Amino acid sequence: MSTSPALQTSDDASLVLAAREGDRTAFGGLYARYARMVHGILLARVPASDVDDLVQDVFLRALPRLRDLRDAAKFGPWLAAITRNRANDYHRQTRAVAAVTESLSGDEDEVRASSTVPDAEAAVILAFVRGLPETYRETLILRLVEGMTGPEIAVRTGLTPGSVRVNLHRGMLQLREKLSQASPGGATWSTFSNSRNSAAHGKIESRRRNQP
Amino acid sequence: MNEDYLWDGSGEPDPEIQKLETTLGRFRHQGQVPEFPETTATAQPRFWQRLMSSRWSFGLAAATATILFIAAFGILHWSQKPNTTPLPGWDVESLAGTPRVESNALGNTSGTTRLGVGQTLVTDNRSKANISVADIGTVNVEPNTRLRLVAGGSGHSRLALDRGTIHAYIWALPGEFTVDTPSAIAVDLGCAYTLQVDDSGAGLLRTTLGWVGFKLEGHEAFIPAGAVCATRPKVGPGTPYFEDASSSFREALSKFDFAADTPEERGTDLRQILAESRQRDALTIWHLLARVGESDRGRVYDRLATLVPPPSGVTRDGILRLDQKMLDLWWNQLDLGDVSLWRTWERSWSQDKASRQ
Repeated sequence: MSTSPALQTSDDASLVLAAREGDRTAFGGLYARYARMVHGILLARVPASDVDDLVQDVFLRALPRLRDLRDAAKFGPWLAAITRNRANDYHRQTRAVAAVTESLSGDEDEVRASSTVPDAEAAVILAFVRGLPETYRETLILRLVEGMTGPEIAVRTGLTPGSVRVNLHRGMLQLREKLSQASPGGATWSTFSNSRNSAAHGKIESRRRNQP
Repeated sequence: MNEDYLWDGSGEPDPEIQKLETTLGRFRHQGQVPEFPETTATAQPRFWQRLMSSRWSFGLAAATATILFIAAFGILHWSQKPNTTPLPGWDVESLAGTPRVESNALGNTSGTTRLGVGQTLVTDNRSKANISVADIGTVNVEPNTRLRLVAGGSGHSRLALDRGTIHAYIWALPGEFTVDTPSAIAVDLGCAYTLQVDDSGAGLLRTTLGWVGFKLEGHEAFIPAGAVCATRPKVGPGTPYFEDASSSFREALSKFDFAADTPEERGTDLRQILAESRQRDALTIWHLLARVGESDRGRVYDRLATLVPPPSGVTRDGILRLDQKMLDLWWNQLDLGDVSLWRTWERSWSQDKASRQ
């Protein structure tokens, strides 16, 4: 998972310069390198079902604006800002706001749409991560969902390694606390999984019974 | 927690983090590199370049300087005004129709507004709203609902639901978020629930995740995920039960809790409840210990002991005289939530109430 940050940055710059000249392969290279970051930032803010479409949309928005990027080596932070703005635009669209709010109110849609207990469990845990303060949830999702390392998150997003480390540490503590509190009869992550399973099962069953 | 593993995946793998990675990994980005259109990044002249190329550039620069001067003067003047701190409150947004915060109608396109302490949010039969509860959760408000924000300070968030339906999804510490209804107070002990109140003030609480406490005076009920609990004005919370209990069990319980039955009829209801109870219904039977008369308590004890044997430190005599410590120990044995969370909240709530009087 680790790549030399220096190499990473210089490669980005050359890819950006080539992409500016219309080199689609170079832009594809940037996509391959940054899609997980964009995906993670979006997943921290919008319903999972809409994230894939938005990822592509973010890159399509970024492509014609590459010339506005003064320092090609800062492509990552620049793209992260575009991504966050895109998530904000998504929320400004009234229908979308309703959709995501309903989802976030327990992420019920995602839990309900989950066909298996592990899916439901994952949706519930994701909802807990999304309930964390913004800085923590974004960093945690990049680490736990997208599989990026702390140094990689720092290089890609432009955050300092120290900030990423603090976000991971504090975010993880808060997540653990929430999971423990939500675990009926248990105060540890080890018991969370089983109780979550039954809770998610109960929820799905309850929904099913209530459906006409 | 292994900090090194969390940071860069090095060192001894942390099982807790590994499990989260595995569980959440199903959301990971999987897409292939798409075909991007043949679009060369076109250079848009920057704003200042367009401006400087204009023959009006000198005049515009002068006008800009004038505007900046006026703006600076205005800011100075404004900054000397007394500071008006916004009232505490929560953001409300419309999900459908036109919910109202006091006289302020909130349309689909008018963004968010603020629900201040003491203010009322009302939805009609077509409108729905969402409340962002500070940093601790969200509340979805269904049509035909009326609620007030009673307190919104840090560590204590409180709504009053006069009528209608809300879905609360809360990640605050247990006890930090409460909802008053005409017949009971709902205390969040972690997670998600739906609360309904009809025009008579009767209510129903359904927990979907975590557990919730329901209280009126000395009458209390704990409602874990999958369970529901009704409440009635002047009576308070009924006995909670799991929704998958048999219909005869639920009917007998409803009569036992709220019907104006004779003692004989209540005895018949209780017998039916005990006879129909499954192990999972220990939730209900435990609550009945404190709700039946002394003459019936022994039967309830025996049934509960069959379903979930009392733990060490709990005696029949102690339960028959409703020893609180023993009741709590037995509750914890049901593995539905740690009752100490509730007791902690109860103490702080009582102190808070006393200080207000």
